[in-house]
Amino acid sequence: MWWETTITALLTLAIYTILVGDNPIFKFAEHLLLGLSIGYSLVVTVKSILIPQAIAPLGDGQWAALIPVILGSAMFLRVHPRLAPWSQIPLALLIGAGAGAAIPAMMQARVLKQTAATISGSGTVDGVIILLGVLVTLMYFVFTRRHTGAWGRAAVAGRYFMMIFFGATFAYTVMSRMALLIGRLEFLLSDWLGVI
Amino acid sequence: MSMLRDRLTILTAATAGVFMVVQYFVTSPGMDATYRAILNWMQVIFACALMVGIAAVVKNHIVRLRRRRAERPYSLVLLASVAAMASMGFSGGIDQGSSFLWAFNHLQAPMQATVFSLLAFYVTSAAFRGFRARSVESAVLIAAGLIVLIGRVPLGEQISAQLPAAAEWIVNVPALAAKRAILIGIGLGMVATALKVIAGVERTYLGGR
Amino acid sequence: MRARRIIFALLAVAMIAVMIWRPRLPITVTDSTRAVFAMIDALDSNAVVMISFDHEASSLPEIGPIGAAIADHCFRRGIKVVGLALFSEGNAIGYDLLSRRAIRQGREYGDDWIYLGFRPQYTAAILGMGEDIGEVFATDYLGAPLSRLPLGARVRNYEDIDLVVSVADGSMPTYWIEYAANRYGEKVVAALSAVMVTSFTPYQESGQLAGILTGLKGAAEYEQLLQSPAAGVRGMAAQSAAHVLIALLVLWGNIEAWRSRKRRAA
Repeated sequence: MWWETTITALLTLAIYTILVGDNPIFKFAEHLLLGLSIGYSLVVTVKSILIPQAIAPLGDGQWAALIPVILGSAMFLRVHPRLAPWSQIPLALLIGAGAGAAIPAMMQARVLKQTAATISGSGTVDGVIILLGVLVTLMYFVFTRRHTGAWGRAAVAGRYFMMIFFGATFAYTVMSRMALLIGRLEFLLSDWLGVI
Repeated sequence: MSMLRDRLTILTAATAGVFMVVQYFVTSPGMDATYRAILNWMQVIFACALMVGIAAVVKNHIVRLRRRRAERPYSLVLLASVAAMASMGFSGGIDQGSSFLWAFNHLQAPMQATVFSLLAFYVTSAAFRGFRARSVESAVLIAAGLIVLIGRVPLGEQISAQLPAAAEWIVNVPALAAKRAILIGIGLGMVATALKVIAGVERTYLGGR
Repeated sequence: MRARRIIFALLAVAMIAVMIWRPRLPITVTDSTRAVFAMIDALDSNAVVMISFDHEASSLPEIGPIGAAIADHCFRRGIKVVGLALFSEGNAIGYDLLSRRAIRQGREYGDDWIYLGFRPQYTAAILGMGEDIGEVFATDYLGAPLSRLPLGARVRNYEDIDLVVSVADGSMPTYWIEYAANRYGEKVVAALSAVMVTSFTPYQESGQLAGILTGLKGAAEYEQLLQSPAAGVRGMAAQSAAHVLIALLVLWGNIEAWRSRKRRAA
């Protein structure tokens, strides 16, 4: 419908006004967006998690659901200056369990499998370049040893590998950002104005 | 009291952490049930943490509404839109055709995408003003960036068939090597940090102590 | 400040001009996109693909088209789709995207596709689904018990899911790799915002990721393979123009800097 597309288009343009400087139109759109996002998160959190995972099981008489409800409720103690430290207990459960789950997962995914792929792939010219690149980049990150002599030269080579990585990442960043702009311009020119 | 509470906090982190490591290697019906229960608790605790965050922002704007005259209209817009979105979501549902999904699709999502599309302008400005080849290293960065930049779009493919091949090689060989080393380094660092959390040595999550 | 505004205007004018002119550029499909397409194309119609919308609305113009192309491919072939989101805004985006495409392809909710909804604690969600999806998502997005939906009752854990596609604008596929692929042997594909691609090539090369799709360009390639050009194909001329403009600005900036250095030295 034309009117709803127009509302979206005007809000899009309101955000773009920041390109000429801070102004009340942008600030209005900014606060509207923030408010909508908060309202959205509130609805999604209650409907997707709190009702099915905590409130409904309690309603069905599953008393085990009281444990996460008590732990979760303790998070609200953060608003009280004196009781706030008690909210660290559920936080500790989250962080501790997350850390425990991460140890074997990260060792396997990031350290062992990456190392194995580096070694097993070294049968080709590109594989050898990757092997050397990984070694010299890792050598650059060893700060407990002085970067002089052969080690220093290897660390410099590691920096060149990283520069290539940052260059490639810059190119992909441009690709991403431009795609976002294309999407919005497509909306304005096609959906709203109908000129393309 | 505070010492007891701190000990209880560290003990909770340690017990949960050790349990999660052990259950990765050992399976038994009892452990599996506890494991599933902990995963479920984590969801509810995280959801409550989100609610605390939401409450903090709302409270902050209520205070601003009372004290700062110049900011008042903006805080009013924010609070009204929170209330509107929440009431639409709770009373009208979240399915197709609901006003909640309409507001998300026509107001929130396009505005959010527009805010991030601003980065296209800033990255263009930065490309002109910031990418200077002041050393051999920065020249290497710029050269790699330009080859990938042109080689990854259809126009680059029209300029030369070598450009996409060169871009692909840069991404899949030297850039991959550097990223892999970074991954290994970060992996080892995070495992060390996780061990410190479980051992109670790393306590910054308790509020910087 | 003035120079900055001129650059902003230059970008806007260049993009709008190319979008109105709309030159047709042939799109070459990369091996990576072809491999993902072939993987989904090889699945039989009873297979189940899990599509996780692990992104916010901010990246929708870039990766929305990839999610749409994959959903179209699955629905067109009759492959069953289980949707979910590990980012809150991805929740509404995923439901909206899948429901519109399912209607267009005549697919029934409950039998051909279901939408689980959103879980915020991704570690717990991904690990939990390896044990029992019904325990992580007792109900679907609309609050219906999962066990009452035919497809919901059929998928117990990753053993019943043939492929996971994480449509992501951040590092979420890392957790799919660490917890679903490595721990439960699940096949994972990452449909990524371009900015994340260099971070994930090591995982693809090591075989931990089954495939990568790259931003709007990946969507354009996928649409080409599906023979139904959409937002991805339409955006490629403007994408090319923007990249050339940036390359020229980098070169121009360097020439200017070199000239002023020379002037100062003289």
